[in-house]
Amino acid sequence: MLSTLELSPQTLDADAPVRIAVKNLDFYYGEHKALKNINLDFRDRHVTALIGPSGCGKSTLLRIFNRIYSLYPEQRATGEILLDGRNIISNNVDVNELRSRIGMVFQKPTPFPMSIYDNVAFGIRLYEKPPKSELDDRVEGALRRAALWDEVKDKLKSSGMGLSGGQQQRLCIARTIAQKPEVILFDEPTSALDPISTGKIEDLLEQLKTDFTIVIVTHNMQQAARISQYTAFMYLGEVIEFDATNTIFMNPHKKQTQDYVTGRFG
Amino acid sequence: MAAVTDQMAPGAHVARKTPKGTFDIVFRNASFLSALFVLLLLAGIMVSMVIGGWPAFREMGLGFLTSSVWDTQNDQYGAWPAIAGTLSTALIALVIGVPLSLGIAVFLTQLAPPWFKQPVSTAIELLAAVPSIIYGMWGLFVFVPLFAAYVQVPLSNIVEGMPILGTILYSRSPSGLGILTAGFILAFMIIPFIASITRDMLDQIPSVLRESAYGIGATTWEVVRHVLVPQAGVSIIGAIMLGLGRALGETMAVTFVVGNANRLSGSIMDPGSTIASRIANEFNEALGLQLNALIALGCILFFVTFVVLVIARILVARVKSY
Amino acid sequence: MTLATPSTVRALPPATWGRVRQSRRTADRAMKIIATTFTLLAISVLFWILGMLIVKGIGGLSVATFTQITPGPGSEGGGLANAIVGSLVLTFLGIAVATPIGVLAGTYLAEYGKGSKLADLIRFINDILLSAPSILIGLFVYVIMVQPLGGYSGWAGGVALGIIAIPVIVRTTEDMLRLVPGPLREAGSALGAPPSVVITSITWRAAKSGMVTGILLALARIAGETAPLIFTALNNNFWFSPSLFGGVSNLPVTIYQFASAPYENWQQLAWAGSLIITVSILVLSIIARRIVRGGK
Repeated sequence: MLSTLELSPQTLDADAPVRIAVKNLDFYYGEHKALKNINLDFRDRHVTALIGPSGCGKSTLLRIFNRIYSLYPEQRATGEILLDGRNIISNNVDVNELRSRIGMVFQKPTPFPMSIYDNVAFGIRLYEKPPKSELDDRVEGALRRAALWDEVKDKLKSSGMGLSGGQQQRLCIARTIAQKPEVILFDEPTSALDPISTGKIEDLLEQLKTDFTIVIVTHNMQQAARISQYTAFMYLGEVIEFDATNTIFMNPHKKQTQDYVTGRFG
Repeated sequence: MAAVTDQMAPGAHVARKTPKGTFDIVFRNASFLSALFVLLLLAGIMVSMVIGGWPAFREMGLGFLTSSVWDTQNDQYGAWPAIAGTLSTALIALVIGVPLSLGIAVFLTQLAPPWFKQPVSTAIELLAAVPSIIYGMWGLFVFVPLFAAYVQVPLSNIVEGMPILGTILYSRSPSGLGILTAGFILAFMIIPFIASITRDMLDQIPSVLRESAYGIGATTWEVVRHVLVPQAGVSIIGAIMLGLGRALGETMAVTFVVGNANRLSGSIMDPGSTIASRIANEFNEALGLQLNALIALGCILFFVTFVVLVIARILVARVKSY
Repeated sequence: MTLATPSTVRALPPATWGRVRQSRRTADRAMKIIATTFTLLAISVLFWILGMLIVKGIGGLSVATFTQITPGPGSEGGGLANAIVGSLVLTFLGIAVATPIGVLAGTYLAEYGKGSKLADLIRFINDILLSAPSILIGLFVYVIMVQPLGGYSGWAGGVALGIIAIPVIVRTTEDMLRLVPGPLREAGSALGAPPSVVITSITWRAAKSGMVTGILLALARIAGETAPLIFTALNNNFWFSPSLFGGVSNLPVTIYQFASAPYENWQQLAWAGSLIITVSILVLSIIARRIVRGGK
């Protein structure tokens, strides 16, 4: 298994500032404690991957960063998540604004029921009122960065639902980056896509990290190894090991991590 | 016979004639005929309305649709006041009922805490179980006096002499009965249908779409307005059409409160009549051509509601898969 | 593991918050208030109606209500006995007509008619009949039964109510049968049972509670129907003939005729009848809902 892993080039900056700091975080679905005492730091403009077997809590953790869990009254988090020093799970944070600062791309592509142009412009219009020409530029820029512009530039007015699955997912990425968030969360963004579309999205992630702090949940270890600089291995609601991706995959300190990344895990 | 027996012999062990086999055929055919009966019912209703109303259509010609005369002494019948009353009460019901229904659907799917959602849903659905005649009683004995005293009288004083409004909203005799009152009662009768279908449509939208709309920083209102409602799309229009179908044919409640006037008034505050209320009111005393004219009214109601319901069902069925 | 100690790294300057425009918050809050108000308004109408029925109807309830027949014009006292019994007879007649046809038709749609164009058409037409105005059903039965037979009858009333009940039963039967898992049917067929036996002794049994719910819902639907009875069973103020020919007294039409009559005892009885009928129907509907939810 290890031999087939293609590790990312080590562009990791050990001195990069921390964008998100998670401190003593617990999370509950009703009575069930799903995350236990999580402590993690996410570095600015790096890709951090969360890996682990299904049910380990990696998606749950991701969904705390933009407070999507607050949509469900029976879910709650305690502890601290500091975004640039501000605790975002406290009640006095405006969740709408938080979500515009921490974008999210979901497992399944979710184009909104509107045109391709409006899909990308939607998030911008919520928070800014740019003149038409500037809005056009922003939309074009976002679509270019999402490597979708050439495929859709002639049909910006047609529905976003008409695109292929891979294109829809890049549209969702364009929609997210158009808002200029500080952090982008990816929740298994390629699990519903074919290998070619997956490749395009991975290339995209590589470029996006020059501007955004990225957290990605993936069940695909090769993917984590290819695209991330830091990796956290989670199991049963706890972070077992967190380190540079190379270390996690080549030289893990914990036996559970080693078993998982080498595929010996049950 | 021998040849036939020979031919059947190889398959005989499959087609064993047991009592069960007979039952199987009988059961299958009975099911099929029962299903066909449903088609037959609709066809029967259509044919009986056309035949029963035919003498009136033949006698009055196209004038039956446009004439406003309803004169039993001289056997002259025109459907226009009833048609106009039916359309205007239904329209008023939609104008009041649709925003209420959509608000309720949004409350149930987006705002209500889980423990509250079920009892409220049930209460809304029970509004549909209350018999039409009870709405009539409520309308006539509770709503009408309040409406006359607190809406019709003050409003008539305000709009009197105004252009347009002075016609539409002025009540010559503020009795509380009238087209607007009927539309108002109808609104509450169609709310449970529109609200519960819309609720189901909104509930069917995958939560990941809703989450990603929230995930971009939209408020609840923005998520509903720009993402959920367009996503549910035409099926909400279908739900509204279904409500319209109800409102057009609703009989007893309207008969109680519409005032049952045969003439047409320019004011929605004045008494009027609908197709259904006219039929319910006059049917038991009707003879000869009047009876045919009433069935002819039913025929018109049938075709109007049929078209509305067909459109409604097509739209509701076309729930977009995601 | 050095990464776990953030004190060694630089902190970013805190970002300025407050990008959410006030107008957006206002619109959001306004929508929430409006939606909640609308819901409360609709619920309060339900309770308003129930309250009205209790306040005005309870005074008219007495033993006589259930033992004496409806009074003639101008006579004192009286009850609703004949109307209540008549309503029960008509309603159960309707259900008796509708249940076999509705259950069989629903069975055809769910079990035999898969993928057939005809079944799709029947399903569609059934949905239309489901919301067709009941007054048209009354007129229909008037034309096909009352006119040819030369007079109003309880039979015509029962048939009219049955026709209203059929689409309800067809729809719920089909829906409930579709919830029965396919492997259950396959297991039955694998034992060599012909389709009719699989359906009657396995599928129907598995869907029993749901199908009963459909019949209860149909019962609730027709129990308060008034308009179709005006053209078919009509009404009278006496005990109806056991042959069910001639007018058959029933609650809804009695309420209709008594409610705005000039006699005080008639009005009182109309309110009592309204209370009886509404409470029965609401209880039926709630029971039906309970069964559905318990069954799932």
